[in-house]
Amino acid sequence: MDFSVRVIELPLSVLALSCGGLAVLGVACVLALRVSRSRKSPDEGESERDWGIPAVDAHAEGSSPFHRWDTRIKIVSLLFTMLCLAALEQLAWAGLGLIASFAAVRVARIPFRYPLKRLAAMGAFLGMFVLVMPLTAPVRNGDTLVTFEHAAFITLNLRGLLLALLICAKACAIAVLMEPLLSTAPFPRTIQALANLGVPTFVCQMVLLAHRYVFVFQDETRRMLKGMAARGFEMRSNLDTLRTVGNFLGMLMVRSFERTQRIYDAMLSRGYDGSFPDAAEFRAQRGDWAKAGFWVAFGIGLLVADRIIR
Amino acid sequence: MHISDGVLPSSVALAGVAASAVIAVWSVRRTQPEDFPKIAVVTSAFFVASLIHVPLGPTSVHLLIPGLVGILLGDSAFVSIGLGLVLQSLLFQFGGITAIGANACMMGIPALVAGWIFRWLKGETLTRHVVAGIIAGGLGVVLAVLLLALLLMSGGEDFLGVAKLAMVAHLPVLGIESAVAGFTVSFLYRVKPDLLRSPPTLKAER
Repeated sequence: MDFSVRVIELPLSVLALSCGGLAVLGVACVLALRVSRSRKSPDEGESERDWGIPAVDAHAEGSSPFHRWDTRIKIVSLLFTMLCLAALEQLAWAGLGLIASFAAVRVARIPFRYPLKRLAAMGAFLGMFVLVMPLTAPVRNGDTLVTFEHAAFITLNLRGLLLALLICAKACAIAVLMEPLLSTAPFPRTIQALANLGVPTFVCQMVLLAHRYVFVFQDETRRMLKGMAARGFEMRSNLDTLRTVGNFLGMLMVRSFERTQRIYDAMLSRGYDGSFPDAAEFRAQRGDWAKAGFWVAFGIGLLVADRIIR
Repeated sequence: MHISDGVLPSSVALAGVAASAVIAVWSVRRTQPEDFPKIAVVTSAFFVASLIHVPLGPTSVHLLIPGLVGILLGDSAFVSIGLGLVLQSLLFQFGGITAIGANACMMGIPALVAGWIFRWLKGETLTRHVVAGIIAGGLGVVLAVLLLALLLMSGGEDFLGVAKLAMVAHLPVLGIESAVAGFTVSFLYRVKPDLLRSPPTLKAER
């Protein structure tokens, strides 16, 4: 069998430079996150970690083709496009998908820091792929290897790097597209559209209730942590911290169970029968289907091009 | 650690959705209808709890607590975890929307197993409860990490290195999770033992 591997040898300085570049990039990312965090809560002025939960429908009030789109059709077409994006196998087409996602954010008039925040959340997970895959991908026929002078123990597999970048591009394209999908309609309306599409009512009810209580319990958590800090508690790497965290979790559970009981009784007494009354009606028009046609065609087009054009 | 979009092969992602849908239906059947809203609320409590970062040397880890969910909710834990993951994906992009089924299996199945183990081991005394909590908490993480590695490797041998790294990176988490689960169980045993009674944990309050 014909087994050929191309080897590119680079001077060691290239390795040192790229490692330094990566380190600078990492520090810059951390600093950028710190800055965005401190800017988010200037009035609190505390050094504690920000556990702020972003609103999922921050731009529901805007006006754009995405806002005017029938929510049901928007969900189905964009989810289909996301599935197509996830199935891509070539970096160039995934990159095109990423550009299209950012274009969609622009059209939906969502500030770019919202999708960027989503990308930052995936940073550690995707960074692991980019750092590890070039080093560990097994060598196959036709691969290109990069080695360095005086450091023969480091061999980078270019195929591994490309694969990792492909994963990053796909993940980013889909994550960025989540913003036009979710934040261009009020969250209850999105859930109502899901129910209209056949998702069981109890699932929708629970997502809505859970989403509501995330913010309630976040407040509870903040209050408890503030109380703990006032009594001199400080998180460290020791068993005492773990014991305190364990007690804290237990207390959070006890309080949330008791609170739930009261809330549920109150809901029942106000006539809750397992569903909320429908707020809005959906009416699909020609424009809605045209937008759906565009996104579905885009997804299929990407997928076909990905498989045919090498 | 949640799997993001674009990592898993499409077939695995779709199989994950199918499998998690089947288990979720079973889990819902095992839940009393009047408990649905309560599960939603408990889910958000866990969601908030999982945002807490515990310092570990120079870095910090956030709690996964699949074991604790299983301990508290029993067979309903899978629904709770699935819901929590949907919310994490929608709000934070922790876990991709196309990988939601795989992620639900990865965290939900360990929660179910941890819940069963806890009920089997817990006995009557505080000591046995705590030991069962530690084992269940640790087991939840071990199973979740094994499933994570398995799912990553479904992408082919190229993913072996990443899978290994993910397993090693979770070793310290294992210790923290076991200890926290043990302490939480100990707290609940003394403060509100009803929550640890089974099943149905939630009905015990009525």
